[in-house]
Amino acid sequence: MKESTQTRLSRRTLVRAASAATAMLASPKLLRIAAAATPIKIGIPTVITGGYAVLGSHVMRTCKLVEKMMGAKGVLGRPIEFLYRDTQGNAADCVRKSQELVERDDCRLIAGVVVSSEARAIMPKLAEWKAFFISHGCGDGLLTTKEFLVPNFFRANTSAPMGARTLALYLKDAPEQNFIALGSDYAWGRSSVGAFEEQIKAVGKNLVDKVFTPVGNKDYSTYITKLIQSGAQGCYLALQGDEARSFFLQATQYELTKRLQLFTEIVAQADIRTFGKDAIGMLGSSRYAFTYDVPENKKFTQAFLAEYKEVPDWTDGEMYQALHILFAAIEKADSIEADKLVPAMENLEVSSVKGPILMRQCDHQGENQGFVVKVAASSKYPEPIPEIVKIYPREMITPDCLSTSYKTTG
Amino acid sequence: MNVAGFLAAQSLNALSQGAILFFIACGLTLIFGIMRIINFAHGGLFMLGAYVGYSTVAWTGSFWASLLFAPLVVGVVGGIFEKVLLARLYARQDSGAYLMVTFGLAIILAETIRLIWGPQPLSVPIPDRLRGIVLIGNQPFPIYRLFLIGMGSAAALLTWQFLERTRAGLLVRAVAQNAEMVHALGTDVSAVRTGVFALGCAMAALGGVLSAPLLTAFLGMGTNVIIDAFVIVIIGGMGSFLGSIIGSVLVAFVQVFGSYYFEDLALAMMYLLMLAILIVRPGGMLGKEE
Repeated sequence: MKESTQTRLSRRTLVRAASAATAMLASPKLLRIAAAATPIKIGIPTVITGGYAVLGSHVMRTCKLVEKMMGAKGVLGRPIEFLYRDTQGNAADCVRKSQELVERDDCRLIAGVVVSSEARAIMPKLAEWKAFFISHGCGDGLLTTKEFLVPNFFRANTSAPMGARTLALYLKDAPEQNFIALGSDYAWGRSSVGAFEEQIKAVGKNLVDKVFTPVGNKDYSTYITKLIQSGAQGCYLALQGDEARSFFLQATQYELTKRLQLFTEIVAQADIRTFGKDAIGMLGSSRYAFTYDVPENKKFTQAFLAEYKEVPDWTDGEMYQALHILFAAIEKADSIEADKLVPAMENLEVSSVKGPILMRQCDHQGENQGFVVKVAASSKYPEPIPEIVKIYPREMITPDCLSTSYKTTG
Repeated sequence: MNVAGFLAAQSLNALSQGAILFFIACGLTLIFGIMRIINFAHGGLFMLGAYVGYSTVAWTGSFWASLLFAPLVVGVVGGIFEKVLLARLYARQDSGAYLMVTFGLAIILAETIRLIWGPQPLSVPIPDRLRGIVLIGNQPFPIYRLFLIGMGSAAALLTWQFLERTRAGLLVRAVAQNAEMVHALGTDVSAVRTGVFALGCAMAALGGVLSAPLLTAFLGMGTNVIIDAFVIVIIGGMGSFLGSIIGSVLVAFVQVFGSYYFEDLALAMMYLLMLAILIVRPGGMLGKEE
């Protein structure tokens, strides 16, 4: 009897165990099938109104194009859905809108943040939110240093020190000996000018002065006078958006380029379009040049031209690259959870629109090549275009780990 | 360095900047003087002027046409806004209501501009005859900025003549002092108010068109300039036309020389000036304490 009872119990236990095991084995597949219907949400807290609205509009149009290109196939068999929020370029608003995305929309993948100070504001919150943030355009070098780096943050884009480094290497052989730097007085501008100062001195040239203009400054007459009086032969510019356009327009009116050569950290197609023929001859580093001849970039540029009837700007290229890298990490991790994405992203290497990119493990900075471009007239396009004059390998351009500096002078 | 040339060039820089500031501050102070309304939409109307100016140049190819057409369009928009919305609030005698309504208009204007013209900045070229530079003691100075100084001076003179020498100007000043008495004498006070509001908006629009070749027409271009304009109106005295001229020139000089000599204090200089003046004259330089 005893034996028989034991046998009966064992059978029952066996049946239960088998059912449980079958359910356990089948559930991820079942869950995945169920999840396949739900889209992967990517939060885009970006600048829709305000001074940097142009950059935000570029972020959004690229996201819309990517959504279209991915179609129903999506990533992990799930379609991509972008949720846009307006931060107006304000750090406090960016935190609030990102928190809304996380808590209200259950969206824990964040991209499309335009301003470095916004990135600095949300980075400390990522662990608490269990969110993952990939930067497409935040340039402040400090974001990937010991002081600010957090595990759930990665930067796919070229940073300000990398742009400055690219130009400094190029200027090593340039005829100009004395330079002056003009930057916008916030995190990115300071970071860019600081890096340029270090780099230009390292290649044996002089920085005679550095000038910072208040954020949102519109009249550059005083600063143009300062540039003229400095006696420098070249001027390094770390301005972007409305500030860059105002400066270039006014510099042209003062015929500044007849007195000194301007070099800019970011050559933007939006600026070229605004200046028209006056942009020809503009020289600078480029975070992304649509003229870069690699298959991935051709595919993107053709799709972009077909969709928008204009060439992609640097923000479009950088945003496309950031999403490309994010999707590759999601595929590798087989998950959209931050704690699984982080190890998948570390040491991830992809061929992007800017060539080979390696997401470094040590500081989560993407190793990007450095491009120097010169704006030239084009017979193919209705506006001047940035022609690549020099490409520097990513190892030379990316700073030392967790740093904004470089051990080698190039 | 040629010190005299440098000072002359910097002074001209300040005057050209002051001219742009005058266009917006003058409209703001006229509206406040007669209607006691702080018009938060003034920056938006300045921006609308720049965009309408851009479209006029694009359609006609003439910058000169934009100097006429943009103020006209924006003046009409301002007049309609006053007639349809603000006029209904006068009976409430609640300055908070004006603030909210004009603030709302500013947001609606910005969004409407974005929907019509898009977020991309739009370039307004300088006419050929205003291109080029003159040398002032080896310092280059753009001819276009000389034109701005001329336009600002002409507008100040004409507005002053209008206010002091014409019957319409007399009515404007009378309504500013005692609207009820003017109404009792048989003058249509509401028409005067609408006219002044439209004139103020048209002047802001003219400032916007003239700024576009320096800045491009872009979303948000009215935000900074409206803050400067409020400071000018406070410095000059709320409602004082002459005060707005003096305030514009003072603020522009402080901005230009302040950012040259005290770069780190560039933003604070204008506010320090305002605080200093308010300590000595709480009603502003030519304003009355109320």
